[in-house]
Amino acid sequence: MESKPLVVVGAGAAGTAAAIEAARAGVQVTLIDENPISTAMMGLNVPQFFGRRYTDAMQDTSLTLEMVTSANDALSEAQEAGVDVRLGTCVWGAFANTETSRVLDGPQLGLSDGVRSWLMKYDRLIVAAGARDLGIPFAGWDLTGSMGANGAYSLMSRYDALSSRRIVVLGSGSLGLNTAIMALDRGIEVPAVVDVSPIVQGDEALLAQLRHRGVALYTSHTVREAIGTDGEVESVVLVEIDKHCEPISGSEKVISADTVCLAIGLVPNVELLSLLGCELHFKSELGGHVPNHDNRMRTSVANVFVAGDVAGFHDGMTLDIEFARSRGRLAGIAAAQSLGAIDEEDAVARMSDLRPADSTPTEVHTNWRRWLKSLVNCGGPDIFVCQCEEVTFADLIETRPPRYLGWESDPMSRRSVKTLLEDGPVNPNQVKRLTRAGTGECQGRLCREQVSMLLAEESGAGLADIPLMSYRPPLRPLPLKVMWPHEETEQVRSDWPKWFSPTSQVLG
Amino acid sequence: MPLGSADVVVIGAGVSGLASAYYLAKAGKDVAVVEKGFVGGEASGRNGGMISERVDEPPMIPMAVESLKIWPTLDDELGYPTEFTHQGRLQVAVSEEEMGDLFSERDEALRRGLSVEQLDPSEVLDLIPGITGRTLGGLFFANGGHANPQRSVQAFAWAFQDLGGRIYQHTAVTGMTVADSRVSSVETTAGPIETDLVVAAAGPQTGLLAEMVGAHVPVAPARVEIIATAPLDPLFNIAIVGNGLYGRQAARGNLLFGGGPHEWTDVGLTTDPNKTNTPLIRNIARRLAELLPGVADVPVIRSWAGVVEQAPDYLPIIDRLDNPSNYVVVTASAHGFGISPATGKAVSELVLSGQSSIDIGALGLDRFSEVGGDWREERGWIPVPHRS
Ligand SMILES: Cc1cc2nc3c(=O)[nH]c(=O)nc-3n(C[C@H](O)[C@H](O)[C@H](O)COP(=O)(O)OP(=O)(O)OC[C@H]3O[C@@H](n4cnc5c(N)ncnc54)[C@H](O)[C@@H]3O)c2cc1C
Repeated sequence: MESKPLVVVGAGAAGTAAAIEAARAGVQVTLIDENPISTAMMGLNVPQFFGRRYTDAMQDTSLTLEMVTSANDALSEAQEAGVDVRLGTCVWGAFANTETSRVLDGPQLGLSDGVRSWLMKYDRLIVAAGARDLGIPFAGWDLTGSMGANGAYSLMSRYDALSSRRIVVLGSGSLGLNTAIMALDRGIEVPAVVDVSPIVQGDEALLAQLRHRGVALYTSHTVREAIGTDGEVESVVLVEIDKHCEPISGSEKVISADTVCLAIGLVPNVELLSLLGCELHFKSELGGHVPNHDNRMRTSVANVFVAGDVAGFHDGMTLDIEFARSRGRLAGIAAAQSLGAIDEEDAVARMSDLRPADSTPTEVHTNWRRWLKSLVNCGGPDIFVCQCEEVTFADLIETRPPRYLGWESDPMSRRSVKTLLEDGPVNPNQVKRLTRAGTGECQGRLCREQVSMLLAEESGAGLADIPLMSYRPPLRPLPLKVMWPHEETEQVRSDWPKWFSPTSQVLG
Repeated sequence: MPLGSADVVVIGAGVSGLASAYYLAKAGKDVAVVEKGFVGGEASGRNGGMISERVDEPPMIPMAVESLKIWPTLDDELGYPTEFTHQGRLQVAVSEEEMGDLFSERDEALRRGLSVEQLDPSEVLDLIPGITGRTLGGLFFANGGHANPQRSVQAFAWAFQDLGGRIYQHTAVTGMTVADSRVSSVETTAGPIETDLVVAAAGPQTGLLAEMVGAHVPVAPARVEIIATAPLDPLFNIAIVGNGLYGRQAARGNLLFGGGPHEWTDVGLTTDPNKTNTPLIRNIARRLAELLPGVADVPVIRSWAGVVEQAPDYLPIIDRLDNPSNYVVVTASAHGFGISPATGKAVSELVLSGQSSIDIGALGLDRFSEVGGDWREERGWIPVPHRS
């Protein structure tokens, strides 16, 4: 098995900065990034909400590899600094010993290039896995062309392969405004930016720019539905809402567009950290569950560091890529110091020009919950909260068994999230088992936050009190033949036991 | 809010405890179930869902056969869906060793007068299109099937509540008061409950609880793993065992397969054990792709682990203690899901009359009279030491 002193996961601004800094401090660094992503993965909306809105160029894997490399100058800088850069490689698992699992001879990652999978041990790990799109449901959000801001950003900036011509952007934070500007810069029309709040949320300068370029801003509005034939978005119906988030009838506006982009917020990608048992806490200002870390980006698991959006994302960071870079450098220096590549004095010197955060983030879930409420008010009880498993808002709240069971009974119809609450605080894992919300092919990426918000709404609990829906490996949908361990030894094969046969202690 | 008293306190809201609670409540008992986590949060919501006559473990056959009479009636009985399906169980042999197991189980079934059919490779292929060409033969048990563990355990819980039963979730048992050879009260993190009778169905923690009342219930906890693929169109509805795996296609279409080595572990009395997955899930994936080569392109989207317990002879324990005399022990040795309806019935009868109408003679504690306090160490059924 490969074994590396320092593995950095994610080659975004933070990850590349961390890798370069650690390499310059003399550490042998392996930098892993899953881009270019296969269309098979993209089609499942993994890891972002791509909404199948990409051009055929995505099929050409040598081209996409070239695009990813050329779109990211820091990658060549990393290579020059001696970093071993592995692109097109996803991290789908992280394994470390726990109280009940002690057989590993060191923590290790599960990796795959889409053809095969393997394991890689590490001494230190820097997780710079970024953030992912927040999913919020509206009628038609399962059509091709309904997508998320990070999905759109990735297709535009990495691949130049966003196939949209006219995008309606949902969310007027800097994330939404920036998405609109990026699209305009690529010749894509942006007929509308929409927000449920009565005022625009994002940066003034961006707003002025959009106004100047003729983009209409709809505040106190939400989406009634995205309409499409042949499974593709053709128009988007907006509607004005009152202060209770109820749609005002007669205020509908039909806007022709082939894409509707959810740019309401991003959620830190804590999945690997969760697998590794890093302590997480809920912080609305930072987008949800985020890792506890010290002032050198070290998590509660001593050999795991974090950097960038995964440590917490807020709207101001959209405008301030330098901040992510500086956190990456900090993590890189700290990891190098902890490996003994540099001494403390040297580390402090290398950190001296790092600047602290310059904006104070604010709580986001009031706005997210407003969006959700308005969309449920407009879409009604039958909108899909979980697209993959077709679980509607009503199914979730009433803990209905999936429709394919065709089950109805009086006792069942009396059960709901409300009755579950009588037995104790609700747990999204329990609701997931009953309704199947979150068990689909996108691995719960598009519905986790909604499920938590709906449970908080229904139970009157604070969002911080709703446990995190669990993450399980593989963190990417991995075909059996890819997960297949080619290196499986003869001994593993011959020692494979029947269910609890006497000799069957676990593989060492 | 004080928990008050109950005719029967059941410790553990797994499928064994809840099935017992259900039948006791149905018989008119005031039952309180105390659970440190939530309903089915441990093995009962994490298992493979396989249900069979247990020809592989002959002492369990009476329980298993009785259960298979109850399973088909459960949805109506409880009022909630279990996803039980009764299409049989197929044992596939892909090695000489598995072929050997096949013959011995066939002979056992025939001796017991159970329905069994030996299949040649082409007949196996007819039942499971796409099964590996390496198949040497099969054994088909018509009386077998599978159900959805999470839905089933919740069905027992809800039906029990519908009869007036109480479930205290997030409440752990921490002690017991024994006087005059009887447990008089169960101490919990939410205060004491006075009771006439205790049913200890706490899975891996059952041994720790028994120690509190001075009894020796030898069980060793172990962690096991399982994987789930993305949903597929219906391929088969039969429960399958073969190539070192067991599994099924769920009603939704996902393939759920587990098997392979377990890991011995220890558990705390009131804490939830880690349900960690290891790289073993890759080996399981490989064996599944070998067994069903046609699905090799299907993605695995999830895996999970569960902690079960094992008695020295790999069989369940269902018994009422002599001392304290109002204490019933129920532990399943990792076979508890399929037999749960019979477990519930047998336990309720033990409580109500001291006698079970189902033959549980082989499942009593007296069979361990020779098992000493350090049996786990002797056998090596203990966790490996922590590495650095
Ligand atoms: C991966 C896997 C696959 C399996 N496959 C199958 C299969 O296909 N067929 C089959 O028949 N069986 C199978 N099993 C075994 C089966 O799941 C178990 O035997 C069965 O669920 C045991 O049920 P139980 O109620 O006895 O125990 P559990 O489900 O373990 O429930 C015990 C409960 O007691 C609670 N508890 C413990 N201590 C305390 C305390 N101090 N206070 C309060 N509560 C406490 C626990 O939280 C737990 O909820 C499998 C198990 C696993 C993990």
